[in-house]
Amino acid sequence: MTSSSQPLVECRQVSRTFGRGSSAVVAVHAATCVVDDHARIAVVGASGSGKSTLLHLFGGLDSPTSGHIAWPAWGRPPRGHGDDVGTVFQGASLMPDLNVVENVTLPLLFQGVSQHAAQARARESLALMDIETLAEKLPEELSGGQAQRVSVARVVATRPRLILADEPTGQLDQSTARHVIEVLLQAADELAAGLVVATHDPLIAAHLDHHWVMHEGTLDVTMAGAEGAAASAGAS
Amino acid sequence: MMSIWLHGLVRRRGGRLLATAAGVAIAVALMASLGAFFASSKATMTNRAAQGVAVDWQVAVKTAPKVAPVLRAVKAAPGTIAALPVTFADTQGMHATAGGTTQSTGPGEVLGIPAGYWNTFPKASRLLSGSRNGVLLAQQTAANLHVKPGDTIVIGRSGSRPFHAAVAGVIDLPQSDSLFQRVGAPSQSQPVAPPDNVALLPASVFAKAYAPGRIAPGVLTTQIHVKRSHALPPDPSAAFTADMAAALHLQAVTSGAGVVGDNLGATLDAARSDALYAQILFLFLGAPGALLAAALTAAVSSAGATRRRTEQALLRTRGATRAQLLRLSVIEAVLVGAIGSIVGLLAATGLGALIFGSPSLGATPGAAIAYAGTSVLVGILISVLVIVFPAFRDLRDGSRITTTGDIGRAASPRWLRYGLDFIFLGAALAVFWATSRNQFNLVLVPEGVPTISVNYWAFLGPALAWAGAALLAWRIADLLLNRGSGLVSGFLKPVAHELARTVASQMSRQRRTIARSAVLVGLALSFAISTATFNSTYRQQAEADAQLTNGADVTVTESPGTSVPPARAAALARVPGVKAVQPVQHRFAYVGTDLQDLYGISPRTITKATTLQDAYFQNATAAQSLQRLASGPNGVLVSAETVNSFQLHLGDTLRLRLQVTDSHSYRYVTFRYVGIVNEFPTAPKDSFLVTNASYVAQQTGSNAVGAFLVNTGGQNISSIGNQIQNLVGTSAKVTGLTATRGQVSSSLTSVDLTGLTKLELIFALIIVAAAGGLVTGLALNERRKSLAIATALGANSRQLRTFGLGEPTFVAILGVVTGALAGWGLSEMLVKVLTGVFDPPPAHLAVPWNYLSIVTVASLLAIALAAVFIARRAETNVHEQLREL
Repeated sequence: MTSSSQPLVECRQVSRTFGRGSSAVVAVHAATCVVDDHARIAVVGASGSGKSTLLHLFGGLDSPTSGHIAWPAWGRPPRGHGDDVGTVFQGASLMPDLNVVENVTLPLLFQGVSQHAAQARARESLALMDIETLAEKLPEELSGGQAQRVSVARVVATRPRLILADEPTGQLDQSTARHVIEVLLQAADELAAGLVVATHDPLIAAHLDHHWVMHEGTLDVTMAGAEGAAASAGAS
Repeated sequence: MMSIWLHGLVRRRGGRLLATAAGVAIAVALMASLGAFFASSKATMTNRAAQGVAVDWQVAVKTAPKVAPVLRAVKAAPGTIAALPVTFADTQGMHATAGGTTQSTGPGEVLGIPAGYWNTFPKASRLLSGSRNGVLLAQQTAANLHVKPGDTIVIGRSGSRPFHAAVAGVIDLPQSDSLFQRVGAPSQSQPVAPPDNVALLPASVFAKAYAPGRIAPGVLTTQIHVKRSHALPPDPSAAFTADMAAALHLQAVTSGAGVVGDNLGATLDAARSDALYAQILFLFLGAPGALLAAALTAAVSSAGATRRRTEQALLRTRGATRAQLLRLSVIEAVLVGAIGSIVGLLAATGLGALIFGSPSLGATPGAAIAYAGTSVLVGILISVLVIVFPAFRDLRDGSRITTTGDIGRAASPRWLRYGLDFIFLGAALAVFWATSRNQFNLVLVPEGVPTISVNYWAFLGPALAWAGAALLAWRIADLLLNRGSGLVSGFLKPVAHELARTVASQMSRQRRTIARSAVLVGLALSFAISTATFNSTYRQQAEADAQLTNGADVTVTESPGTSVPPARAAALARVPGVKAVQPVQHRFAYVGTDLQDLYGISPRTITKATTLQDAYFQNATAAQSLQRLASGPNGVLVSAETVNSFQLHLGDTLRLRLQVTDSHSYRYVTFRYVGIVNEFPTAPKDSFLVTNASYVAQQTGSNAVGAFLVNTGGQNISSIGNQIQNLVGTSAKVTGLTATRGQVSSSLTSVDLTGLTKLELIFALIIVAAAGGLVTGLALNERRKSLAIATALGANSRQLRTFGLGEPTFVAILGVVTGALAGWGLSEMLVKVLTGVFDPPPAHLAVPWNYLSIVTVASLLAIALAAVFIARRAETNVHEQLREL
């Protein structure tokens, strides 16, 4: 593992465009930002403002059309290495034909962890999220909140340096949403990981230290604290 | 709403729509091609059957005074093109003096041939030498009398002095059996063989030879030979009925004075049985293909079932009524059915042009329209069944907003618990056994009834076996993926390593989809295997039949009464291209009071010139039978019928009466029974004997050869045959395998079955590849999301492939194993059930290994390509997939 003083992600003039010609859509336009180690960042903005795309770029799941993105903490793109970055997706991202514990085990197995060890870590992670009773259930048998908590447990099990959460509470009621964000913060603290949450919910954003605002693909990282919270309230 | 839905459907689900339409297209193309092929084949059968007849009707006139009125009635009968009277007279014998010796024959027939006869009935004779203008002799008579054109023969007349005539030509009478039939007599009282000695005199010469007053009364009989119009209904059955009705009508018109010997009807009668066999083949070979294509379409369509149900649920929440949703699915079905049908018909026309040389879908424009229309209806029916029916079922079953699809803790299908697969297989065996008691007699010809029918019950056995095998394969897949998950995990371990258990778990929950794909691949392969094996066995037996009838590639048959020594083989062997020559003696022997053909061979060398199949012998192989014959000088192989009649046991002594050459008297010769022979090259269908030529020569004092079997290695048969004919002249008859092929084949086999085989094999290949690639690909495509999640969770390319390849590997292995076993079983069953198509019955299946290898590789390749394509797509389009999460 590299030095903890290194930033996790550095973006310079990063743009991501989908499509070509007249039908081209600029999802992210010339974004410049740095995700520091242990950072707690909320990326706020209206639906379709480019938050998810930005997070996919951070996680190495997508490549920029122009600009430069780097991961100084690892010195290489994090894709294919689940212990670098863990992602909690917007919707149901569990494998529909694997049960809960198998879902949590999966990224560990991709890392080469033995089946036995992976099972142990998965159950430990489920216990941490207080959902060990769901271990044998299939995703279709879970509620939205339970499914999202399993997604978080899956991320926690891989012990990543950076947790990316893309609208993790978008489909949840307020109480469950609050619980999920608390769980995410708790996980980030326990793993000493950075946390970037894309959300349009000001109440969720309020739990985080930094508020970055996305508006029609343009990222504004200058606002912080109350100013950002207000902006996120406006965005929602 | 309809247009928005359609637009969205085409834009967003275009791939799946096209895949479903492709399934419909395969079914439509198969139905249209095969249906049209058999329709035109029936017409071809009728035409060929009619064209092969030399004289359509032989109307026997009972008394001389009635000849003129009967002739008038025949000429006036609708459909008569020409009618000529032919007079028959018996002769006590003929003799001729040539080359200083005088040769005599036994009794024979003399015919009075009217002018223009040979032009009206060109197939009635084949000129061997000289010209047709004058007195003609049949080839065997010329050989017996040692005469050639220009020589004079003397014809003995009952009650009158012999008649002298100069020979103008020597001819062969290819249809002498029907020419010398006893018109109006039942088949059992027909002559065993046509007369050996035949002279054909021009009517003017005949009138001099047999003028009234010069001969005894009652010596002459008259037949009116009729050429009928061959503009018959295309269906052989209809043609037969029409011809028979015309013949009966004539008999009624002549008040019984003229009795019709209906050669055309007899040929059409055989053709209508063959037409029914064609119908059987169509059902056996076409129906499974069409069913498979329908099942394939259903599988393709159901691959998107979850998505469709979700969309339906969403539309319902937005206020769409059930009737509206049903209408949407009907529109989708009609769209898919129409596209599929059009593509299918175009493919059928293309294949028709490519394989049969004609793009037409039927013998007539009306038939083409009927077949095309039926095929389109079938296509639309399939698409309605696979699209509208599931949609209707979903709508009827409730108000689910979201659905769970095919995964999860779904119980195994109900039929598994009831053991439907075992019930089907048991019923198949029972039906098969019941049909076997009827000797697999598929085409029924009830005595005295002019119609024939097909025993469709016989189809039930293979159909149930096919369905049972499919369900059993499903059971095995279910068992392996559910309870045998550990086994699957162990199997995957070397490739999947730590992921093996997870992949096995995932497959277990997808077992319904996986089992369906594996069963489809297995069924498609079994269809390809059974079709190809059946066709291959059919070809093998058709060839064996031709060789059995002809004897060898080329056979030189000596005229009866001539004495040609075996040494002549050396001269024949010198003809360029000849690989081997084997002499075969042909004698007659009395077994008790029964006169049977006896063949003397050299058992150690006979197979150099001809092929002997194991099926020709009973309770022993061909090699064993020949070995037994060679082991002692007086061994004899006899027919099963003789063994039963005389209660023979191996090693028993048989005393047969054989003619001694010098004295022409019969003497008892002792043989030892060493085995049973059912068929032998050149031998008749009824009882006969095969023994050692050397022993026969020693006991009868003559080594005269009946025929020489010539092996040309299957090459240049016709030209070598011609060279041999030139060498032996008119003293012997030379026949080649190529000509015999056409003659022995029934009208069914004379139809271009090569094209049909090609057609079936192409479709089998397409169905196998589609079942493998399309079904697996679409099933995997529906799980692109899972693969995208795996990518997002850090799976590298190898792991992603492992994750995606478990299912196709299982489908491929189970599909190939199931297909091979079911295909083998069905081939055995098909060949047994369709035994009537084969003559002689095959001893073993002919397996076309090359084609089957291609089909298996195509299937595996299609599965692998689909899997790799989907995995690649999932890997490269992760972002797109993730945006949908």
